[in-house]
Amino acid sequence: MYLYLPVALTSINILIPVGLGLAVGLLSGLFGVGGGFLLTPLLIMFGIPSTVAAATDSNQIVAASTSGTYAHWKVGNVDFKMGLYLLVGGFVGGIIGVQAIKLLHAMGNADFVIKMTYVLMLGIVGVYMFIESIQSMRKKKDTAAAEAQEEKETAVSRFLKSLPLQTRFEKSGVTHSALVPIVLGSFVGVLAAIMGVGGGFLMVPVMVYMLRMPMHVVVGTSLFQILFTCIEVTFLQAYTNHSVDFLLAVLLLVGSTVGAQIGTVFGRKLKGEQLKVLLAVIVLVVTVKIVFELTLTPSLLISQAGGH
Amino acid sequence: MNCGLRIADCGFMGKGRNKCGVRSAKCGMITMIALVFMLILGYAGSASAMLTAKANHDHITIDFFYHGSTVGVKGLSDAGRDLVIKITSPEGEQVMKQKGKVAGVLWMNVGSLKFEKTPNMYELFSTKKIDDILTPEQQKRHTLGYAALADHVEVSPMKNAADKTQWFGEFVKFKEASNLYKTDFGNIELKDLPDGHQEYFIETKWPYQAAPGDYLVSVYAVKNGKVVEQAESHVKVEQIGMVKTLATMAKDSAAIYGFLSIGIALSAGFGVGLIFRKGGGSH
Repeated sequence: MYLYLPVALTSINILIPVGLGLAVGLLSGLFGVGGGFLLTPLLIMFGIPSTVAAATDSNQIVAASTSGTYAHWKVGNVDFKMGLYLLVGGFVGGIIGVQAIKLLHAMGNADFVIKMTYVLMLGIVGVYMFIESIQSMRKKKDTAAAEAQEEKETAVSRFLKSLPLQTRFEKSGVTHSALVPIVLGSFVGVLAAIMGVGGGFLMVPVMVYMLRMPMHVVVGTSLFQILFTCIEVTFLQAYTNHSVDFLLAVLLLVGSTVGAQIGTVFGRKLKGEQLKVLLAVIVLVVTVKIVFELTLTPSLLISQAGGH
Repeated sequence: MNCGLRIADCGFMGKGRNKCGVRSAKCGMITMIALVFMLILGYAGSASAMLTAKANHDHITIDFFYHGSTVGVKGLSDAGRDLVIKITSPEGEQVMKQKGKVAGVLWMNVGSLKFEKTPNMYELFSTKKIDDILTPEQQKRHTLGYAALADHVEVSPMKNAADKTQWFGEFVKFKEASNLYKTDFGNIELKDLPDGHQEYFIETKWPYQAAPGDYLVSVYAVKNGKVVEQAESHVKVEQIGMVKTLATMAKDSAAIYGFLSIGIALSAGFGVGLIFRKGGGSH
């Protein structure tokens, strides 16, 4: 069955957005990512104008992350305190990022910098997570090696501990200076704004590797944080660009809210390392896809302005 | 003729209006009769060469279940004429991203191109290949065919004419992929009528990608490489009901629309969360 989308000005088979929503929602519930880096290009592929695809995607993530945050909160996997500090940082970073984009456009090589940042970030994060989680799976059997790893990390943690405003994050079971999540949050915010994505795939590794939070709490907290970011983005897109398609968002969220619940249930059955490996694989697949897009001659040399 | 001249004379003389008035009344009658006669003759003359055009579905309404439509264009022309049918949206400005190679290996957006005097939709149907029935000059004059359209539109920034031809070609490819540009030669149905006319007919799928607005259907009768007659019809595409309400709201009440979108998303997320909890899905 086809439905006409009033803002996208196109007609779409309803099974497409519902199915895509379900798949992306599943990823949200499992890994704590918004999934914009997957969904937006897929929507464009199915004929949705790029500006509408990006804006509507953030509206849909509001629903998926609400559903996911709720499910994770029910099982005690959301660190609200950490989430708020990261949000403050992300907000500041977003403002800096938008200015950076303006500067890049003025310099005339914006797309090159954006694409390269995207590929490098995805590639580095994917490879690092993949290797690290495979190693930690092995080390579980070899506790001596794990202890050696702990030794090495104390240099970094000693520096982190020397920072002022130390505070305890009960849910995550870690103690950090309040400055750490704020600075890291703003770093992700800058990159996310430059790349035009929510930044979940960056925030998750930052929480796991730099804030040393347990993977399951990371997923819940990341969703909580994404929820607020996407509320802000949805409003700005609707208000300034008029590019949110309400009906498309509804079709997507029918799938994604359910997907997020299923993802949460599945996620609880998997170990932290298994989740990390899976996320690393997805990130690497996306990286390879983008590298192909960059190197193969495109069939159309012209595309609609706006969006990614 | 004489009488006509005299009337003119009267008008210019001004004096002796009475005499002239009587004479002019007589003359007026004769002129009137002559005019009516000429009109009838003229009508009969043009009727034998009259091109007509009618779109069978001239008001397309878009509701939630709209998935494009079918539009038929039919009419009469003199027998033996070639015909060209052009369906276009009003011309406007379109900004597109331009892909190019960076550092010799990487394809990415390298800039933007502005297409002015460019219709968003352009469909062309003709009895034969456009180059076989119309001279390039005639194609240009009536903007018939991609070559003529390329000449008509303005693309910036462009280095030279070859650059423009290449990028307009890419633009056409993009539009064809979105079903908004099309050329179709040799598929107009023609039927000769006993009175020396022919009836023409095409049926075309109206793409759902075509935005709401007024579309112009122009029909050209062609003889010896030249357009000899032209007729027009219109197709109006309009959103109705909830589709229209939502589209208007997105533009005119953007803040409320934004809050509504967020509100629905939040409640859907919570709602599904509650359902799953009750259902025991996530404990």
